[in-house]
Amino acid sequence: MAKSHQLRKIFIVVFLIGWLFIAYFGWKQTTDTSSKLTTITIGYQAGDEFDIAKTRGEFAKKMKKAGYKVKFKEFQNGSAEMQALATGAIDYARTGDTPPVTALASGTNLTYVGAGGSKEQGTGILVKTSSGINSLSDLAGKKIAYTQGTSSQYLLLKALQKAGLSTSDVELVSLDQSAAAVAYEKGKVDAWANWDPQTSRLELNGSKLLVNGSDISDNNRSYLVASTSFAKSNKKVSKLIIKYLNQDMQWVNKNQTKAIKMMAKSLKLSTSVVSKMVKRRTYSFGYMTKTAVQESQDIANLFYEQGVIKKKVNVKSHVQYLK
Amino acid sequence: MKKAKTNFWTKVYPWILPVAIIVFWQIAVQTKLINSQYVPAPSAIVAQAIKSWQAGTLQKNISISLYRATLGFIWGGGLGFFFGLFSGISALFRATFDSTIQMLRNIPHMALIPLIILVLGIDESAKIFLVAVGTFFPIYINTYHGISSVSEDLLEMGRSYDLTNWQLFTKIIFPGALPTILMGVRYSLGTMWVSLIVAETVSADSGIGYMSTNAQQFMNVKIIYLCIIIYALLGKLSDFMAKQLEIISLDWQKA
Amino acid sequence: MNLVEVKQVSKAYGKNTILDTVDLNIQKGSFIALVGMSGGGKSTLMRMIAGLEEATSGVIVFNGHKVRGLNKEARIMFQDDRLLPWMTVMENLTFANKSPEKLAKAKELLELTDLTEHYDKYPTALSGGQRQRVALARALMSEPKLLLLDEPLGALDALTRQKMQDLILDICQKQAITTVLVTHDIAEAVRMADKIYVIKDQGISGRFDNPNYTGSADEQRLQRDHTEQKVLDVIYGI
Repeated sequence: MAKSHQLRKIFIVVFLIGWLFIAYFGWKQTTDTSSKLTTITIGYQAGDEFDIAKTRGEFAKKMKKAGYKVKFKEFQNGSAEMQALATGAIDYARTGDTPPVTALASGTNLTYVGAGGSKEQGTGILVKTSSGINSLSDLAGKKIAYTQGTSSQYLLLKALQKAGLSTSDVELVSLDQSAAAVAYEKGKVDAWANWDPQTSRLELNGSKLLVNGSDISDNNRSYLVASTSFAKSNKKVSKLIIKYLNQDMQWVNKNQTKAIKMMAKSLKLSTSVVSKMVKRRTYSFGYMTKTAVQESQDIANLFYEQGVIKKKVNVKSHVQYLK
Repeated sequence: MKKAKTNFWTKVYPWILPVAIIVFWQIAVQTKLINSQYVPAPSAIVAQAIKSWQAGTLQKNISISLYRATLGFIWGGGLGFFFGLFSGISALFRATFDSTIQMLRNIPHMALIPLIILVLGIDESAKIFLVAVGTFFPIYINTYHGISSVSEDLLEMGRSYDLTNWQLFTKIIFPGALPTILMGVRYSLGTMWVSLIVAETVSADSGIGYMSTNAQQFMNVKIIYLCIIIYALLGKLSDFMAKQLEIISLDWQKA
Repeated sequence: MNLVEVKQVSKAYGKNTILDTVDLNIQKGSFIALVGMSGGGKSTLMRMIAGLEEATSGVIVFNGHKVRGLNKEARIMFQDDRLLPWMTVMENLTFANKSPEKLAKAKELLELTDLTEHYDKYPTALSGGQRQRVALARALMSEPKLLLLDEPLGALDALTRQKMQDLILDICQKQAITTVLVTHDIAEAVRMADKIYVIKDQGISGRFDNPNYTGSADEQRLQRDHTEQKVLDVIYGI
């Protein structure tokens, strides 16, 4: 009796030491060593510009040389990023075109500091090729998934407007990305307003884009936003981020094969999916432009008309034109 | 000989069903009885595990999850023990805290998430806090219950046999409450993993929960299954260890 | 010389009076028994001597000092053994103090109570008689001046019980320990005690000297039966 306990005790102690050792290893992973640098926290989403910068690694190195430690935080969608931005959990957020507009309407103090190139080809409404839905007007009476507060909402409203449908002619279901993926796959919804890399992935798996951004003049840019107070006092940081990020974007344009391989690995997607996504857009990132502001204003106007937001938003007064 | 045989059977028998399920599962997928798009074969999941291990993501995410779980458990369990202990010993302490704690106990984890993000942001501390919340209550309740149900007779005996208050605690109150406390530990190890899954699906960029939601986003079913299996194994493992601890420290219960 | 003097002691729980102005002297080295109906207050009186309960009025003097709080020179052996189930026999004896002297003392007492071979067993592995022997040994660990026995043998079978009675008597006589036995078993009281007190109607209703009887075994038995009958007459008020 006593002997078997001896064994048990040794077993437990060894196990606990192993457990704590692994946990310690985990702790080391979550804390970085360089602490003297100013930390800049950037929110991003899988497959976006910052995901590339993060995976490539050059961005963080350059920022470190300039005296900043960069921390990346991944989010599932833009509205979660806006929430984190409002609470100060992140300093910058890279998001689609819609989340900043809805955040502004709900009173969040944020400022646009940068805009990406347009990616209208990769954004659209997905339907299964076998679904028999061939035009926008076929959507009448169908179930369409989108994610509230993200660019998919604008895209959807814009597309319906073009087809002469109103929101009551279709059944709109707001789901987050993970839930929507499952619902669409299982056929619980007929269509899904979404963006790359999901669109590329599904287009190669028996789906097609019923409509894409360019058909309905929705450029679906990326934006870099920060809280107003942070943006005001950190112009230098904003400029550095945009500069280095754009260098990464140019690298992608020049080294597509390498970039595709790299992204496929980090996103755990096949190279064909990533290649489709990369090839149908031009990567770039720069300061805010009048065009980009106008595009955002269009979103705000349509949302206000449709009652999505309850407050008029004047995008112009929330923009920082860097020089 | 006969005894050895029954011993062998009692050890092997409980594993027959799970092994049979796995074998059936493998065959069903291979013969296309089940659609491998939703239910990948066990062999495919193992292959995925090896692949993720070689890429370094599996061990990295497991270790990070383990770190969050452990720290959350130490905080939540430690505080739960402390509060439970004093609620069990002091009537004043109990009157002050118990009804508040009982009220907070019934709040679902999910309901706390917006508040936690608002107050603690999305750092490690938010995840660890959520785990701590999940482990606090089972340990609190069991410690409190264990301490307050220690036999009055034994306490009277201890007092009349000259024990100091500290000795009363170490010789009678604590060992008397230990079976109930250990039950709480086992239970809270369960809630520890549940809370961790919730915490890691909120906004994480590492950990098993993240691996799983990230895979869900891109419909990588193999990784989803792998994550579920890892959670199950970790849960079983921690329960097994708690059981060993019970066997050692509650040796006196069996005649 | 008296080890314990109970003077004009009353005890009430609220309006319910248990004992009313009781006087009782216990001589050093004597073995007395308190008998009576259950709920009559014999246990309460004993607990007050031990300092586990406080008298509502009156004083109890122990060895020349008023009893206030716990009486550290008295040890109770309880009705149920109250052994700590998570400690072995040896640990149950030395749980308050593990000094080498105490360990030696414990070994000696285990020898005396015939428990040496069971020293590392947990109480759940022992029989009722063995458990009570452990409880007895534990009570003797601190070499108390006064041993209080609160119906410790009530749950034992007849044969074990008689063996226990002999063991207790033997130890108390050899070590000259003053002993108070509370019991509802008159035969047990007559068998063990020098003096028997009947507790009845909130006071002491009778006191019997119980000498060592002489003569043949049959004669002794007759004399004992006679004393028993007298005690019973008082208890039932005949």
